[in-house]
Parts: sequence; C-alpha cells; structure tokens
Amino acid sequence: MMWFAKDPVLMAASACATLPFLAMAVILIFTRQHRRVSAAISLSAITMCLLSAVYLLMTLRHAPGPVQYQWAWIISSDMIIPFGFLLDRLSLLMLTIVAVIAFLVQVYSLGYMAGDPGFSRYYAFQSLFAWAMMTMVIAPGMLQLYIFWELVGLASYLLIGFYYEKWSASQAGKKAFVMTRLGDIGFFLGIIAVLLGFGDLGILSMNEAAQAHKIAPFVVTLSSLLIFCGVVGKSAQFPLLTWLPDAMEGPTPVSALLHSATMVAAGVYMMSRIFPFFAASPDAMAVALAIGTITMLLASTMAMVTHDIKQVWAYSTVSQLGFMVMALASGGYFAGVFHLTTHAGFKALLFLCSGIFIHEFHTNDMREIGRGGGRKLTIPMVCMTVGALALAGIFPLSGFFSKEAIMGVLAGNPNKIWLLAGLLGALMTAYYSFRLIFMILFPREQTHGAEAHGSHGHDDHGHEEGHHGATFWAMAWPVMILAGITLVLGFFQKELEHYLLGAGPALHGAEAHGEGAGHGLGHYVLLFSAVSLALGGIVWAWFEFGRKKATQEGFLRRYPKVEALFANRWYMDHFYRWLVDYVVYCGFTNLFTRNDRRVIDGGIDGICRFTVGSGRVASFLQSGMLQYNLVLMVAGAGALVLFFVL
Amino acid sequence: MNSLTVYLVVGAVLFSLGLFGVLMRRNLIGMLISIELMLNGANLNFMAFNRFLAPEPAVGQIVTLFVMGIAAAEAAIGLSIILALFRYLHSINVERARRLEG
Amino acid sequence: MTSFLTDGLIHAAFWVVVGLTFGGAVLAVFPRNIVYNVLGLIVCLSGVAGLFLYLGSFFLALMQLLIYVGAICVAIVFAIMLSPPLHLEAPKRRIPKLVLSAGAAGLFFAAIAAVSWKTAWKPAAQRGTDWSITTIGHFLLTKYSLVFEVISLVLLVAIIGAILTTGFSRRLSS
Repeated sequence: MMWFAKDPVLMAASACATLPFLAMAVILIFTRQHRRVSAAISLSAITMCLLSAVYLLMTLRHAPGPVQYQWAWIISSDMIIPFGFLLDRLSLLMLTIVAVIAFLVQVYSLGYMAGDPGFSRYYAFQSLFAWAMMTMVIAPGMLQLYIFWELVGLASYLLIGFYYEKWSASQAGKKAFVMTRLGDIGFFLGIIAVLLGFGDLGILSMNEAAQAHKIAPFVVTLSSLLIFCGVVGKSAQFPLLTWLPDAMEGPTPVSALLHSATMVAAGVYMMSRIFPFFAASPDAMAVALAIGTITMLLASTMAMVTHDIKQVWAYSTVSQLGFMVMALASGGYFAGVFHLTTHAGFKALLFLCSGIFIHEFHTNDMREIGRGGGRKLTIPMVCMTVGALALAGIFPLSGFFSKEAIMGVLAGNPNKIWLLAGLLGALMTAYYSFRLIFMILFPREQTHGAEAHGSHGHDDHGHEEGHHGATFWAMAWPVMILAGITLVLGFFQKELEHYLLGAGPALHGAEAHGEGAGHGLGHYVLLFSAVSLALGGIVWAWFEFGRKKATQEGFLRRYPKVEALFANRWYMDHFYRWLVDYVVYCGFTNLFTRNDRRVIDGGIDGICRFTVGSGRVASFLQSGMLQYNLVLMVAGAGALVLFFVL
Repeated sequence: MNSLTVYLVVGAVLFSLGLFGVLMRRNLIGMLISIELMLNGANLNFMAFNRFLAPEPAVGQIVTLFVMGIAAAEAAIGLSIILALFRYLHSINVERARRLEG
Repeated sequence: MTSFLTDGLIHAAFWVVVGLTFGGAVLAVFPRNIVYNVLGLIVCLSGVAGLFLYLGSFFLALMQLLIYVGAICVAIVFAIMLSPPLHLEAPKRRIPKLVLSAGAAGLFFAAIAAVSWKTAWKPAAQRGTDWSITTIGHFLLTKYSLVFEVISLVLLVAIIGAILTTGFSRRLSS
C-alpha cells in the first residue's frame, strides 16, 4: 500500500474507478431498507469522484503528455491487453464532465425521486452508471473500454427499465439494450479486427501507429467502420436511433444523465478517443459524416411534431449527437469534443428543468404543462429558456460557441452540402426548441378537443406545496448551477482549445484545414448566417406558437402526411417491426425451428438410437465373464507397451 | 547362463504362462495356481536384476521375500474366497460366476 | 580340465533346472485335472528355487521351498479337497476362448520380451558383494522395518479375512 499512497494521482484515479462501484455494492447488499443511508453513500461516493476528477484535472493540466498507469492483463505472444488508467487531456476533461453531471443529477434526484419505493435501488444503479462511465473514460485500452461500455449499457438498461412494473418501461429498456447491442457487435468485431491487424489494443499505440501509417489501410478502414457501428448504436445514430426517444420511460434525471454525459456521450467520446485512428481512414470518415448528417436532419424533423416534452429533448439529443459526429468526421476534433462538453451541460439542464415540470404536473405533455401553469415556476422556466437558447445557438451561451466551431469545420469541407445541412439543422433546432418554450409560456385553452381533463386542480395545489419544500430546492439548485455553467462555458473556448490541443501535435494535421478556413471573412459570414438562421427559427416559432393569435398548430399541420411521417419517426420503428416480423420471425426463426427439429433434435435422436443400438451390439462384451475382460485388458496393455517400445 | 537376458526371458515365459492360465482356466483354483506362476516370474526378475545390476545385493532378496509374503496372504484370501464361492454357487467354475453380465 | 568339466556340468544342470521349471509350469497350466496342476506347480516352484541358487542366494532358494512348496501348495491341496468332487468329468475347453487368451498372453509376452531386448541394461557403478543373511536381517530390522511391519499387518489381515470370509459364507449357505 505504500507505493499506492505515495502517488496521489494514481490514488485519485483509482478512487474514480472503484468508489461508486463499492457504493453500489454496499447499497444493494446492506442498505436497501434505509433510503437516506443509501442516498448518502451514493452521494458521498460521487462527491469523492468529483473531487478526484477536479484534482486530477488541476494537477495534470500542464502535464506534457498523457499519464498512463497500466498493467498487462493478458499477454499472449505478440498480443498485449492492458488494464489500468489513461489520464490525458481528453479523458480528464470528460471525467470531470461526467463527475459534475452525475453529481448534479444525484443531488437533483434527492428531490425528484423522493418517496419512490425503489429509492435505494435507484441510487445503486446511479452509482453503477457513474462508475462504468468514469472507468470507461479513463480506459487505456480498447478492451477495457469495451467492457465498461457494455456496463454503461447495462446500467442504462436497468435505469430505463427502472419502473419495471410498467410494460412500456421494461420494453423500452429492452429496446435500448438490444439496439445498442446490435452496434456493439460491430464494435467488438472491430476490436478483433484491430487485434488481428495490429496486435495491440492500447489506445495510444493504436493512435500513433495509425497516424504514422504503420497499419495497413484496409485494416484501419475496416476496423474504423466496425467500431463506428458501436458509436451508431450507443450514440443513437441513423439506423439505430429509435431507442433513445423510447428511453424516456425511465425517471427524468436518468434521462438527463443518459442524454448528456454518459450513455450517448460514450459513443462520441469513444470516437474522439481514437480520433487519430479514425482520421487515418478517409473512407470511414466519409461514412461517419454521412450518417451524422442523416441522423441530425431526421431527428430534427421528428422533434418538430411531438408534444412530449421529454421526447423533444430526446430527438434534439439525437440530432446534436449527429452534429458532433459530423464535426468529428470532418476532422474537427476540438469542435466535436467542445460541443460534447457544452451539450452535456445544457442538455442536462433542459432535462432537469423538464423533470421539475413533470414532477409538478404529473404529465409529459407540453400543452397540459402550459395549461397547468408552467410559467409560474419561475426558476425552471428561466433555466429552461437559457438551455433552449443554448441549444439553438444564440450568442452569449455555450451552445453558440460550440456550434460555431462545428460550422467552421463544416465550412472547411470542400463539399458545401454538409454545411448547408448543418445550417438547416440549426434552423430546425431553434424552431423546435422554442416551439416547446412558447407552448409552455403561452398556453391555449382551446387547442385540443380533449379539454375535460385539461387543467387539474390538484396540480396547482401540489405545485404550491412543492415550491417551498426541500424537495423543490434539491431540484432547483442543480438546475441553476447548470444554467450558470451554460452561461459562462462558451467564453472558455480558447482555454479549452488550448488545453485540448496543446499537447497533441498528432491531432493538428486533421484540424488544420478545418480551423484555417474558419477564420477570415468567410468566418464572419458564416457566423452571421448561422445566428440569423437560429434567430429566424425562433421568430418562426414565435409566429406560430408565441404571438397572441397563434394557432399553436405548426405549419406541419397543413401537411398531414409529412406530419405523420415525422411523428412516426419516418416509420423506422414500423420498418424494424416489419423486418423483425418478416425476416427474423418468418425467415430466420423458421429456419432455426426447422434446424432445431430436423437437424438438432434429429441428431440427438440419432445419437440416442445409435447409442442404444451399439449398446445392444456391444453388450456381448459385458458377458459378465471375468476372463474376457481380463483378455481385453491384457491385450490392450501389451499392445500399448509394444507400441511404445518398438 | 550368466547372462541377464536368459533369466529375464525365463521369467517372462513363466509370467506369460501364468497369464495364459489366468485367462483360460475356468477352475478358480487353477487360476490361483497360475497367479502363483506369475508371481514367480516376477520374483525371478527381481533376483536377476539383483544379481546382475543392483548396487546392493541384499535389497533384491528382501523384495523377493516380501513378494513371497504377499503371495502367502493372497493364497490364503484367494482360497477362502474360492471356498465361499463354492458354498454359494456349488461350483468353482468362473464362468458360472457371471452376475456382472450386461 | 576339471574346471572345464565342472563348468560344463554346472551349465548343463542350469538348463536342466530351466527345463524343469518350464515343464512344471506347463503342467501347472494345461491339464484339466487340478491335482496335476498342483504337482506341476510344485515342480515349477522347485525349479525356480534352483534358479535362485544360480542367482547366488541360497537363503532365498530355501525360503522358496519353505513358503511356496511347503505352505502355499499344501494350502491349495487343502482347498482342492474341500471343493467339488474330482471324479466328475471336467467340461471341454472352448476353442475361441483358448485362442483369445493365447493371443493376449502371447502379445504380453512379446511386450515383455521386447522390453528386455530393447533396454540397454547397465549395472550399477558400485556393486556390493555382501550376500550374507546377516545383512538381510539387518536391513529388515532397520531400513525396511516399516515395510516389514506392514507385511506383517497384511498377513494378519489376510488370516483374519480368510477366517471371516469362510465363516460368513458358511452361515450364509446354511
């Protein structure tokens, strides 16, 4: 233990990698009946992690290179699989984000989950989630990353299906798990491809070797594409994006955590983690760019029609993740990570605010929240507006800076279609987020036919009570902190950029053309157009939802087919259903059933018949006559000796 | 006559004849007699090695003595089992003792 | 000249002893009459005692006669007298069983012979010359005392076991 205590950095890293797990174990084993104790254990663990993460960030801020502690876990001839911690600028930044968000969410949950029968279980899973994510962030090798990646998936499954007695919740949990698993298969195959083609799973060595073109190009492309499948699953990119909106079934703080810093961020984080490796394969980058763009646009359209407050933010998460993937795929390492950072802040903020509304009004429908008097909850309303402004990319807020960085990178791409797509996405983002804000701020009584259960008397009552209770403040404080972060984070762009890129000269190559084109006159044109588009989106939303005589129906109401298309998520779930029904159930299952009946059962029966028959044939050997047995034994022994001697 | 191989072959012949008897005889007492032959073949080997190879001539003789002791015990037990079996089956034919038939 | 004659005589006597042993062994295995078998066994064991003489151990030869010929063979004769009547005609041997056993035994013989031939036997570097019974007794009571005790125990158990087996079987049958 002495060497351990002598190295505070290692101690802090180990604290992040163990404490929440211990907290989970203790809660699940000992303190399930004592909810206060459970919450205290979980919170103290995450606080320790937060302190450790900040300490690490402060200590290693000026470290010349990555600090790596690793122990060989499996060594087999040329293959080395390490286990340990990799503390470099990226992982420390992400570690801090995760710790901050997880901490705030856990504090918030004190209020949100108060009185829930599964309170202790909730905190245990939260700890598991935080542990898995933090250990994943500081993983030095792809295999460790993969293991904790899957643990993150497990934790999110447990939390999405937290209300397991609800059919839709357990279904959503399963859906999330299975769909991300589809991507993870690709990820794992990608790891195997790296192992076969390169032989080392260390992230640093992979990046260096790919940058120095020491790995065969097709190996890089193949494994990048396969690993990108993991990103597609985890970060809800195009073909696998429908699990994320369904993940709303979990408690709202879980959604906040899931959407900002942990589950979905894991995919983008992993992509930036091995960014030089990706960057070495232009083909994989092109695929990623296309998928990111499609995701971004699709999700934005979906967000424009739903009335579920959480689903709006869910779709916006998907589309912002698409933005990040676009940024990374067009070479903007910093832009992607920066947007990941700011997005973590404001998306957590948005979800936590929505959580307050949902907690107060017991509904997810934004129209009912508006009618119930959502505007009277000043703090969350203001904070949510701040978050929405950041999401739309309006000037002084963090989203503005990161979005501008991404636009700059996209502008550097010779093909301008990506830039156009990005600008379109910005417009839609502003539109749908302020559609939500205005709908809550300026409710209309006569919008919907189903008026009877519109305004609940007890809602107002509950809200009056909650306004002053400790529960409310436990929820309000994290929200305000996050709003503050959202307000100021953008001004640290230069510092962050310097911090992230200062050390890694390897990263500059891909960065150069993206950033270089961003400055100059074109930069300002771009900046202006992006901001004006965002403002245009807001004005558009005001015109349709905000102003006094607005119908609050949206222009899409006039195109019912398009609206249906958007509302049904472009029929992707139907397509999957069809695929499962016709291809899996009718095709594969049928084949498998036949295989099971004919081949496997038949084979087993055949073996049985053969055994019985041969037993009948061979039973003459068991005549019960000692001497025949002896004859065989002696002959066998003699033959054996002869075989070895001659 | 002063070669080790001669004794070894004589021992092997005794052993194999004994083996043959054990495998072939139906009379249990005959099998016991054959086993005695096998033991003697082994004894002969011990003594031959003792005479031609061993560093200490007393050891081989001691081992042979022990084998004789074992043979005596074996004969006592074997004969008593044969007598018990005879009382039970009214025969000392091994082919009648086939309770293990599959 | 005399030594040559003596050597020749000793040599011839050796082969006579070997022949006696083999003859006894054949007699002990093949005849279906159990009394012949016992007689053959006695002859064979006496031959082996002779071989022991040639191998330089007078003591062991005496022991062979005493224990095998004197004790075991007599015990077998007693067993024969207690078992089924001899005047009954023994059934014919079956050829397949004979062939099978001969094959297996032959195979085993080939194996042993092959081992004897193939191995390059090497005498120990330093070989003692102390063949006296005193040494044997000394060893039995010092270095090999444990084995000695165990053998005694085995004999004791065998005696008790034999008594019990026959005693219980008598109770069972009657």
